[in-house]
Amino acid sequence: MMETDVLVIGAGPAGSTAAKHAAMGGAKVIVIDKKSEIGTPKRCAEGVSKDGLKELGIKPSPRWIAKEATGVRMVSPNGTAVNLTEDKVKLPEAGYILERKVFDKFMAMDAGRAGAKIMVKTLATGMRREDDQVVVTVESRGQEMEIKAKIVIAADGPESRVGRWGGIKTALKPKDMESCAQFEMAGVQMAEPDCIEFHFGSVAPGGYAWIFPKGDDIANVGLGVLTTITDKTAYEHLLEFVESNPATKNAQPVELNVGGDPVGGLLKKKVTDNVLVTGDAASMVNPLTGGGIISGMLGGRIAGQVAAQAVADGDYSHENLKVYDKLCEDELGESFKKYLKAKEYLLSLSDEELDEIADVFKDSDFETINTAEMVKKLIKISPKALLKLGKLF
Amino acid sequence: MIVKEWCMYCGECAGVCPRNLIEVREISLKFDEDKCKECNICVQVCPVQALEKRDD
Repeated sequence: MMETDVLVIGAGPAGSTAAKHAAMGGAKVIVIDKKSEIGTPKRCAEGVSKDGLKELGIKPSPRWIAKEATGVRMVSPNGTAVNLTEDKVKLPEAGYILERKVFDKFMAMDAGRAGAKIMVKTLATGMRREDDQVVVTVESRGQEMEIKAKIVIAADGPESRVGRWGGIKTALKPKDMESCAQFEMAGVQMAEPDCIEFHFGSVAPGGYAWIFPKGDDIANVGLGVLTTITDKTAYEHLLEFVESNPATKNAQPVELNVGGDPVGGLLKKKVTDNVLVTGDAASMVNPLTGGGIISGMLGGRIAGQVAAQAVADGDYSHENLKVYDKLCEDELGESFKKYLKAKEYLLSLSDEELDEIADVFKDSDFETINTAEMVKKLIKISPKALLKLGKLF
Repeated sequence: MIVKEWCMYCGECAGVCPRNLIEVREISLKFDEDKCKECNICVQVCPVQALEKRDD
C-alpha cells in the first residue's frame, strides 16, 4: 500500500493547483488522473480573464494561449448586437482563450516541479476510513492498488463521486447542471474576431450559445442548456445554432466536446473528516457565465494550503478543516450569489424582451453609463428587473 | 441502462445520479444496475442522448 500525506484525485486545473500548493506547504503529495493524457478532451470553452491568471501568479505562455480577446459581443435572438469593444469601454475582463490540452498539462507540470508525484491513467474506485486516515482504492493501468492518505482533495470534476464517498452531498439536480455541446471549428467568420461572443434566448434554453475565437478563422462554437426546460439535447441545439448562425455557415468542425457544467452556485458544504472538495466537483463555477477555470484554481489553491496546514497540525478532522468552507465562501461564494441572481433575471427574459434590451443598449456609450443607469433602463423594459436586480446594486 | 455507442464519457450523468451509481472511465462507463431506481435523471441530462432505459 502506498502512503502519502495528501492525495489529490483529478489533475485538471483545480486539482493540479491544489497539489502544487499542498507540496509547497511541505506535504507529501500524490495526484492521480484517470486519463492517460491530462487535459484532453476538453469540456470547456477555454475562456479565462487576464486578471484571474495574474491573481494566481501564472505567467501567460504562448504555448497555451490561442488568442487574446479584448471585447465582448452580445447578440439577442433577432441578431441585434451589443459590442463592448476596447474603443467603446475599458473592460476589466480582457481575457485569453486557452488551449486546454496544453494548459492543463502545464499546470500539472508545475505541481510535479513543486514536489507532487503524478500518476496518470489511475482511477479512484472507492474510499474507506482507517484510524484517522483514509484508504483510497485505485486502478492504475489495470492494476488494483491502495493509497493511504491523511487528506484527500476531491478534484474529480462535475462527476464529483469522491466527495460522496466521504459523505458529502455533491450530486446536482438537473436544474443546476448545464448540459453542453461544442464544436471547435475552422472557417468561422466572426463579425468581431477579437471579441468573445454570447448569444441569448431560445437558441440555448436555460443557458447561452458562445463563439470564442482561437485565432485565424478558428473558434469554439458551443452552447449550454438546462434539460429541465428543453426536450432537445444540447447537441441537437448546437446543430441548429451552427446551421442558422451567419458566422458558422461555412465552418467545419474538427472536434466535438460535450459535458456538464455545474452552475447552481458554490457547494455550501465541501468538507468532512479527511476530505476537501474543490473545482467543478464543488461547483466552483460562475453561475452566470459557466466559467470555472480561474475559480476552480483559486479554490484549489485554498484546498492545497488548508491540507498542508492540517498535515502539519497532525489533525485531519472536519473541525480542523472546516476553515476551508469559510475561505472559499469569502473568495468565491459571495460573488457567486450575485451572479446567480443575475442569471435568474436573464433567464426570465423572453426573446422579445432580449431584443428590446439589445436595441436600447446597442448604441450606448458605456464609458459614461453607470450600473444604476443600466438597471433603470432595464426596469423600463421590464419591471421584473427591479425585483430581481434591484438588491444587487 | 443501455449505453449507446456514441457515449463520449463526459461524466455529466455521474454528476447528477442521486445514488452515485455511475463510474465514468476514460473510454468506458460502468453502472451499478442493482441499486438503480430508474429515476431517469441520467437519461435526461446526457448532451448526446447516449443513455436509454432498458425495456425488460
